[in-house]
Amino acid sequence: MIDDLPPEIEKRIQHLLPRDLLHDLRTPLSHILGYSELLLEQMKDAGSEEYVAHLEKIRKAGRELVDMLKDNFKSDT
Amino acid sequence: MAKILLVEDNEMNRDMLSRRLERRGYEVVIAVDGQQGVAMAESESPDLILMDMSLPVIDGWEATRTIKGGMETKQIPVIALTAHAMSTDRDKAIEAGCDDYDTKPIELPRLLEKMEALLSKAS
Repeated sequence: MIDDLPPEIEKRIQHLLPRDLLHDLRTPLSHILGYSELLLEQMKDAGSEEYVAHLEKIRKAGRELVDMLKDNFKSDT
Repeated sequence: MAKILLVEDNEMNRDMLSRRLERRGYEVVIAVDGQQGVAMAESESPDLILMDMSLPVIDGWEATRTIKGGMETKQIPVIALTAHAMSTDRDKAIEAGCDDYDTKPIELPRLLEKMEALLSKAS
């Protein structure tokens, strides 16, 4: 059945192979987590309790996404 | 405090990680591709190198092999950083001469632990 797919569709499917998808998802996730953790450190230093609470939620959601990747793509970390 | 050479082509990763390391007192110098990484390993004599593996010009594996083959640079510890997280990627990095390996997204406490372990071994 795969043989019947138009080349452009086949190319798109190949592009979404788990290894590439895993890499492509990790890059923006790195940015979201890294900057939220940097902001969290800065807000803690500044004593901004409300922002710290919000940023903890962003970080928690980001880490949950990392765990989902780990569970679904058999990565090591 | 230790001087860290961060070799990373992604601007946001570079900005974010260098700021976080500087907040902890490290001196951070930056290279944006593998070739510049090799050149700065020689010119800056960093205490440790954080090396992204997917780099333009020459990739992180080749850059690490060059650094580990240089008389003046072979003793500098190198930690590979990659968004690929499979065990084969870790093996490939170690084979290229990296002293340790970590994955993105970075978990800073885990990375700092690896950095400090290598820095204390080197000193």
